[in-house]
Amino acid sequence: MKITFKIWRQEGANSEGSLKTYDIDGLTEDMSFLEALDHLNERLVLKGEKVVAFDHDCREGICGQCGVFINGRAHGPHDHMTTCQLHMRSFKDGDIIVVEPYRAGAFPVIKDLVVDRTAFDRIIEQGAYITAKTGTAAEANAILIPKEVADSSMDVAACIGCGACVATCKNASAALFTSAKINHLNKLPQGHPEAHKRVLDMTNQMAIENFGSCTFTAACEVECPAGISISSIAEMNARYIKAKLFE
Amino acid sequence: MFYRKNIIAVTGMFLCVFLIVHLSANAILLFPETTARTLYNSYSTTLRESIVIKIVAYLLYLSIIFHVVYAAIVTYKNRRSKKDKYIMNHKHETSSWASQNMGLLGVLILIFIVVHLVNFWARVKLGIGEKVGLDAYGNIDVYEVTYSLFHNIYYVLFYSVLMIPLGFHLHHGLQSAFKTLGFYHKKGLAVLAKISLIYAIIMSIGFAIIPVIVYFK
Ligand code: HEM
Ligand code: SF4
Ligand code: FES
Repeated sequence: MKITFKIWRQEGANSEGSLKTYDIDGLTEDMSFLEALDHLNERLVLKGEKVVAFDHDCREGICGQCGVFINGRAHGPHDHMTTCQLHMRSFKDGDIIVVEPYRAGAFPVIKDLVVDRTAFDRIIEQGAYITAKTGTAAEANAILIPKEVADSSMDVAACIGCGACVATCKNASAALFTSAKINHLNKLPQGHPEAHKRVLDMTNQMAIENFGSCTFTAACEVECPAGISISSIAEMNARYIKAKLFE
Repeated sequence: MFYRKNIIAVTGMFLCVFLIVHLSANAILLFPETTARTLYNSYSTTLRESIVIKIVAYLLYLSIIFHVVYAAIVTYKNRRSKKDKYIMNHKHETSSWASQNMGLLGVLILIFIVVHLVNFWARVKLGIGEKVGLDAYGNIDVYEVTYSLFHNIYYVLFYSVLMIPLGFHLHHGLQSAFKTLGFYHKKGLAVLAKISLIYAIIMSIGFAIIPVIVYFK
């Protein structure tokens, strides 16, 4: 299979970038998209050119590292899918594929397709945990939690922190990510003691990091590999208003 | 950052309620000529003389101002958060056109509102422009203002065509406002999405056909 890649190349954070064209042959349909980039990089090494920098780690859809913008979509043409889970069979022989880094003021480009997503870490640091010292794992049934509550907490706990929500959002809003992290804990009894503080601190950090305000375009929920719904953002808004009123 | 969106949502919802009342009242214009003139003018006089309506009217002006100012701030800040654009962006695959263009739709509506206020509010309340006469019962003849305005084809087009962006704005805006204000019940949101669509269709078509019907009267 033959593909023409148009890939964003940028030397460093402060340099100018541009799309570079690479015609590449010898790809197969069962290669993952990242393997196709590996394939391209191997050819570049042989030619003595600089390889394309891109983020990846688990390559099985759980770490959230492999964020790139492919043909105008976060993580490529499918809904709810990471780049590592995308395969070349989703493209046709002879296709042109445009690959760009995630675009958001809060996610500056480091090199080529790699962006700095540590803004997410700083939101996490503001309260996506409980401060109680829990010691070793407690007896699982010591705190009883209704199944629906546990399930809805799990639904948002599925967030892998990939940043696709920010990447696709016209406002570069981190509302889906932040809401997932907040709701995950605030739904559970373990999260209750610090519930109000968690909402206020984490959303405050979100604003400090220059993420935009959510206007519910709902693009994020289409791209989110974990299938988190924008109703999670509405729930965060409800928790925020409650925290403001009762704190 | 949350309070700005909350202000846009609350003022937007208030404007949405106002639109229902406004459209219902304007439906009077669809009655036969004499009935419509009497009813519309006496309704208009009643409104002008009521203290409650005066307060509501000021709330309305404030809502429009706050809505527009905060919408402009949020839109500006959101653009700043996303300075670098994608070279290829298939955003139409992931979100509705209206949701991506609320600012543009809002500007079109604002243009409408300004012209609309000049046409009616300025003439009837401020007495600017051509003097408005009285009808047989001594009420200010607002019906005549409407009637003559909508016998100018350019105004008919202006009033009708600009109801299209209004419809798009309302379709996204109404359901968005509920989410902004923290309504997160999933099935409820699906119902609200349908209600917003029906509401937007009724409002835009309702307001759009009145000038056309008056034109052919
Ligand atoms: C009849 C007049 C109007 C009504 C009924 C209305 C209604 C609404 C509603 C309900 C919202 C949703 C708030 C939210 O997302 O939480 C909204 C958002 C918005 N409105 Fe309006 N609006 C009107 C006029 C205007 C005007 C004149 C402008 C600007 C010039 C404007 C600009 C905006 C913007 C930029 C947003 C929010 C952005 C977004 O959510 O994407 N609107 N409007
Ligand atoms: S909410 Fe979804 S899209 Fe956003 S970071 Fe988490 S997993 Fe990725
Ligand atoms: S590389 Fe881990 S999710 Fe794609």
